[in-house]
Amino acid sequence: MSEGDLDKILTRVHGLAGELEPFREMLLANVVMISEIPAPTFGEEERIGFLQQRFTESGLDTASIDEIGNGVGILPGTRGEQTILLTAHADTPFSAPENHSCTLETDRILGAGVADNSLGLAVLVTLPTILEGLNIRLKSDLLFLGATASLEQGNQRGLRFFLANTNRALTAGISIEGAPLGRLHYRSMASLGGMISCHVSRKVSQKSAIEVLNGIINRLGAIDLPEHNHTGLVLGEISGGASYKIPARNTQLTFQLRSDDDQTVVDIRNQINAIVDDEARETGVSCHLEGIARTRAGGLESDHELVVLTRKIMSALGIASRESIYSAIISGYVEQELPAICLGITDGDNINYPDEYVEIEPILTGVAQLIGVLMAIDGGCCAQYR
Amino acid sequence: MLNIDNWLQSNTFHHGQFWDLLGLIKEKEKKNLTISLCIPTLNEEKTIGKEVVLFKSELQDRYPLLDEIAVIDSGSTDRTLEVASSFGADVYHSAEILPEMGFKRGKGENLWKAIYQLKGDIIVYVDADIKNIHPRFVYGLVAPLIHRAEIKYCKAFYDRPLALSGEIRPSGGGRVTEILVRPLFSLFFPELTAIIQPLSGEYAVRREVLERIPFPVGYGVETSHLLDVYFEYGLDAFAQTDLDRRVHRHQETRDLGKMSFGILRTFFKRMKARGMVNDLPELTANLRQFLALDNRYEQVIHEIYEEERPPMIEVPAYREKYGFGEI
Repeated sequence: MSEGDLDKILTRVHGLAGELEPFREMLLANVVMISEIPAPTFGEEERIGFLQQRFTESGLDTASIDEIGNGVGILPGTRGEQTILLTAHADTPFSAPENHSCTLETDRILGAGVADNSLGLAVLVTLPTILEGLNIRLKSDLLFLGATASLEQGNQRGLRFFLANTNRALTAGISIEGAPLGRLHYRSMASLGGMISCHVSRKVSQKSAIEVLNGIINRLGAIDLPEHNHTGLVLGEISGGASYKIPARNTQLTFQLRSDDDQTVVDIRNQINAIVDDEARETGVSCHLEGIARTRAGGLESDHELVVLTRKIMSALGIASRESIYSAIISGYVEQELPAICLGITDGDNINYPDEYVEIEPILTGVAQLIGVLMAIDGGCCAQYR
Repeated sequence: MLNIDNWLQSNTFHHGQFWDLLGLIKEKEKKNLTISLCIPTLNEEKTIGKEVVLFKSELQDRYPLLDEIAVIDSGSTDRTLEVASSFGADVYHSAEILPEMGFKRGKGENLWKAIYQLKGDIIVYVDADIKNIHPRFVYGLVAPLIHRAEIKYCKAFYDRPLALSGEIRPSGGGRVTEILVRPLFSLFFPELTAIIQPLSGEYAVRREVLERIPFPVGYGVETSHLLDVYFEYGLDAFAQTDLDRRVHRHQETRDLGKMSFGILRTFFKRMKARGMVNDLPELTANLRQFLALDNRYEQVIHEIYEEERPPMIEVPAYREKYGFGEI
């Protein structure tokens, strides 16, 4: 993209947050309505139904639901030579019976899932109206995707399915997350989410499954994790047993292994498998390793034009970009070799807890940033990768 | 004799019947109707922001069904008014509307003053304490009035869950309805038992009706409306809409006692006026409740005056504003 074209975009986004003010209530109303529809992973139908209603109301072409439950809509561009994918994941870690009621204060919205990812979805469904209201007409088609089954065991199934099966030649992808503003992810690490289960048969052994798992954990701690490719092992969650009086019959550990290098993850997984098998050799003890989710290493280089332009747009809007460049979200794009970034819309806290909240004031700046990036892609910054 | 079955058939709706908002707005414009939303408040900062944003965004900006969104407040000490106004509602202190009439504390007072302050041909009242607010709370109630000229008063009913200790569970709910109001209606005005939730705080009413009925300022306002509109127009003037779920605050039994007391006073006043009860003693304003302290009981006396505001059409300032001329 030429300096002149970039200057035009930077000038356009400069006062954009102010121009977005008339759409503030519509965005907030959508955050509230989306948040209050429960959408646990694999149970997003009702929320996707709402997105579809919004897509249809905005006049999007072919608003539809694909065979895996993703909600899709297309806003045609003036030329349609490129298609830019805009996506936000629809699922939350909260089960349906939990309280999904939100509270709207003057400066923030509180409620389960407002940041992750009701705000991202609200931006997705409000954007067609915003672009029309501001008379921003892009040359490229915009493809809006509310993606299902993203979190934990969902393993980005919705996005992966769409990318693997769409008949559109996509130019680039943008994943929208509610928080934090300044998030610019463009690479994914190789990772394996896994669960180790231990079981002791009472007919044969009185040993506690906690001792078995403890043995495994000690050996996991002794695995040599290469530092040069940032390999790390996180022990995330543990459960097991029924009472303090009785030796535990079952235990479970979930973990995540990650690295810059796909092969390192494969090698260490093999080591973990060997440890688990070894511990299971004792009579009456069985141990099992199950993969929950995996991602591939890859993504854009930091000097890719999309990354460089996004940083410039963020800087023009006074958004300080965060240090981390890695997100599992990018992995789905890596598999299809599609240039992609993930952006955050505002600041928030207590993410994935019932007192989750997002700040209202920065939201319009976050949306302005997104529109700027769309203009940059529309201007051709990813065209050579098609 | 009873019209209940026919009425239930013809005048009971589900909000899902009115999903076509564009069609509804077209009909509203054809009939040249204006609609005002009134949200009466007293310390509702937790829920008011959400209500205002949803109604403004969905029923003004996206679908222009509402001509006006107003919050009428009885003197909140929290940030209710600041929050409501920051999200675009018109905000009024009840005490500043018709100041020559004075100010009485109570929800009914706010509803009554809304008739003077708001301009709509239809006023829809929605309580501010609804946690699962949704546009259906408004369009579900005004749609029957837009579509059918003979309907004057449309009331909400719900599958009513109570929010308790963080978990939401279905429940009978509506305790005052089931153990006081419905038995009273069954005894004296059986047709009114067809109204499934007589005490729900959400209803849409035509101005021509609102301006002609008195308003108890406190707990009795919903009951008095039903009785007065029924006496004047009969059951056919009512409709009711199922709005599905309403999640709201759980009230203590003690507070429901106060509500029941106010309702009974309102009810007996009307029975007496119609000559349905003779030799009724002067009704006290004192509700007596008891507190247990160790081994003794202490009496607590609540003074509950179920004062009534006159029909708005009798108020000179209103007659002047709406061109009725002097009485």
